[in-house]
Amino acid sequence: MKYSDADVAVIGSGPAGMAAAIRAKEEGAEHVLILERQEQLGGLLHQCVHNGFGLFYFGQDLTGPEYGHRFAEKVRDLGIRMLLETMVTRISPDRQITAVNNREGVLCLTPKSIVLAMGCRERSRGQLNVPGTRPAGIFTAGTAQRFVNVEGWIPGKKIVVLGSGDIGMIMARRLTIEGADVKAVVEILPYAGGLTRNEVQCLHDFNIPLLLEHTVTEIHGQQRLEAVTIAKVNKDKKPVNGTEQMIECDTLLLSVGLIPENELSRMAGVALDPLTGGPVVDQWRETNVSGIFAGGNVVHVHDLVDDVSWEAEIAGSSAARFVKKEEMEKEKKILKLGRNIRYVVPQTISAQHDVTLYARVRDMEEHVTLKVGDIVSKSLRVVKPGEMLKIDLSRSQLKQLKDDAAELSIESAKRRQNG
Amino acid sequence: MAQMETEVLIIGGGVLGAAVARELSRYKVDTILVEKETDFGWGSTKTNMCIVCQGGDTLEFRPEYHRSKLVWDSIPLMEPLCQELDVTFKKVGELALIRNNEELSKFQKLMSRAEKLGLAGHQFIDQDTLRQMEPNITRAAIGALYDPHIAIVDPVRLTIGLMENAVQNGVKVMRETEVLRISREANQFEVEMNRSSVKCRFIVNAAGTSVDKIARLVNSNDFVLYPIRGYVGILDKNLGGLIKHEIHMRPEAPGQMNILTPSVHGNLFFGTIMQPAMRGDCSVKGRIAEIGFQNARKIVPDLSEKDIIHSFAGFLMFRNWEVGWHECVVQASQKVPRFISICIGYPGVSAAPAAAREVTELLRREGLKLVIDESFSPFRKAPPVFNELPEEQQKELIAKDPRYGHAVCRCETVSEGEIVEAIRHGATTLDGVKFRTRAGMGRCQGGFCTPRVVKIIARELGLSEQKITKKGRESQILLYKTKELLEGQL
Repeated sequence: MKYSDADVAVIGSGPAGMAAAIRAKEEGAEHVLILERQEQLGGLLHQCVHNGFGLFYFGQDLTGPEYGHRFAEKVRDLGIRMLLETMVTRISPDRQITAVNNREGVLCLTPKSIVLAMGCRERSRGQLNVPGTRPAGIFTAGTAQRFVNVEGWIPGKKIVVLGSGDIGMIMARRLTIEGADVKAVVEILPYAGGLTRNEVQCLHDFNIPLLLEHTVTEIHGQQRLEAVTIAKVNKDKKPVNGTEQMIECDTLLLSVGLIPENELSRMAGVALDPLTGGPVVDQWRETNVSGIFAGGNVVHVHDLVDDVSWEAEIAGSSAARFVKKEEMEKEKKILKLGRNIRYVVPQTISAQHDVTLYARVRDMEEHVTLKVGDIVSKSLRVVKPGEMLKIDLSRSQLKQLKDDAAELSIESAKRRQNG
Repeated sequence: MAQMETEVLIIGGGVLGAAVARELSRYKVDTILVEKETDFGWGSTKTNMCIVCQGGDTLEFRPEYHRSKLVWDSIPLMEPLCQELDVTFKKVGELALIRNNEELSKFQKLMSRAEKLGLAGHQFIDQDTLRQMEPNITRAAIGALYDPHIAIVDPVRLTIGLMENAVQNGVKVMRETEVLRISREANQFEVEMNRSSVKCRFIVNAAGTSVDKIARLVNSNDFVLYPIRGYVGILDKNLGGLIKHEIHMRPEAPGQMNILTPSVHGNLFFGTIMQPAMRGDCSVKGRIAEIGFQNARKIVPDLSEKDIIHSFAGFLMFRNWEVGWHECVVQASQKVPRFISICIGYPGVSAAPAAAREVTELLRREGLKLVIDESFSPFRKAPPVFNELPEEQQKELIAKDPRYGHAVCRCETVSEGEIVEAIRHGATTLDGVKFRTRAGMGRCQGGFCTPRVVKIIARELGLSEQKITKKGRESQILLYKTKELLEGQL
């Protein structure tokens, strides 16, 4: 079999790509091909040497490399083909893939279906527009993570972390263990951006100060970073005059959000949801372009790798069914965003099959009720933007949906009493 | 300390210094160029909107200013120069938006100036035509003055092209070399630098924002310069198709210039706000960045702050009111023979070709013998840009050198082959590689490729990764090895 006519081509081999490829093969796609730009399978899992992976998927507490290894073994066992160190440079709407590597040169592939599994990237300083000079010593948390865990270098010893995303908190702990002095994790919101478990295990347990409602207002130093000015922010997230303080540091890590990596999706004409930054998908994880599926962080940024794998499995399985020309239920019901819901994935569902919805709230709230139309009403102690909501809907529940659309919403206790 | 001798010493490897070096390399003249930074074009050349004034926009300059003459004289020179140096030069044209009668009459004046000067091709266009040309711009524009000539270029690549061609033709260059003292002897200068010293007969002072500081080293205080800081923001390539022309809107407040323009690499640039600032302070101020973006949104209302991938500040040098704020410096010192200073302020890139010729003429008048060097070749071949090649040539390149098939920077699709080539051409730092290849200039701003590029630089230069810097001097990227901070604690 030639590379050029795969049944399913999977772009990326992180937790999403491997899970999608495995499931596609298991569902009967004969020729599954993984395209990976790095020299090995696994994507970013290699640099995630901390634990907490697979608690749900395997019921075991694994590190990132261990989690990845299990999938990589299976990829090999199933005889899934792969092109490593191969960068996809273009996907056309008729599913032609152009890729480049140092063995085959420029490759043109025409797979029957494609699974997008490119993952996400970190927001950079440029996007934050942090004022100040441009010295060395400013890294995104993930770049620093690669330097420390893969390359064996410590960027510096006096660290400030801007943003309390999961990688930022994990790197605060990692650098503390390495003997660096993490002076503070500075978060503009009134609560941590990442998971509560990371806030406790990475910051509280290591006595690393978490400064909520603070931000970095200026960067100092011409050559190497010398200090940052931080300040308290008001309700509009604007710095409050007079609250500035300068913290001497040689390194600033940024953990201020992840962006689904969809440049290739755009080229392929895949419609993106501005709220997730990823493709608009139906419950089969098919995009608006027939035969192009997507799963994992390329669709929306997940909290847990387990969910990344599960979501990508849906995409992989659907791609295989597409190749086999199996009918996929296309009756579409739209999920509407109600009160305090920032986004929901998938954006449309069929009412004929069980489905799991992934949603995020806009604001933190306590003692609320999660509602899906008239069919779900579930009390929750707390909802936070940093913790994704997962809502399982069964086929029988969905049958009760009367309209073509269902609204997801978070009702506060007060409203519930009143209404 | 090494002691050298030369006829001409050029101080400063920005676009002007490089243009003078290249111009002098046409003649049998011993020339050394010194640059204090690690690479060329890292001062005002780099902090640039990338626009080449090629026509009507120059009419805003007062015609009696010498600067205007240099820009006009450069117009026919720039495109052939870029061709010789294998540097992308792209005519995009300018649309100066008209929102009311006041602006219309202002532009009518400019138009009549253009006619007087014989600049062809300018025309007023109505709202419908404007919409067809630029569907995404503000509805507030009722028309525009269209100038087909304005162009864009990558100023750092132009500078490197000029430098490389000058070196091919015999100019010697020294980087990380800062001039500390200059003493005058009978008919020569002795210039003391951080790593060496040089005796020379002529000095071309093209030190950018330090041009007056260098002049003071020889007590030649013929001019006063005021630094004004400008701000530029860069938008994601995804928006590259939003506008096709450089678009100019008259600013609402003094000290602002409101421009949105495509770059040769497919991004959009916006800027610029001007403010007086301490020299060398290239920090971006939050408030200024905000105004800059608001102004850009007046041109294209759909822009989102999320699409800003980078912003920077840089300096323009202005003169005082006595000579005219917008006048430039291209002059032989009145007190010190054989000492020539050059500083355009803006638009330095646009004026560089004619300014270099004029400096050469000034050197001749000061006594430099200019004998044509028959072996001079004006042509320089730029290293391949993988991403811009047609597929067939990409294949050939990979077949020849497989490293071109190894993509290192994902956002700009920069290959290992290009990075190695940039290092071979003189890049020694992360920023050096970035400005020569664009690795790290894309939307993730080096998040992905930084560890990989550091590794390649270290490998190619035979250094430890710990020694690799962002931009030379003390800008080390990696301070310790893992476990190093724990030594003695365990």
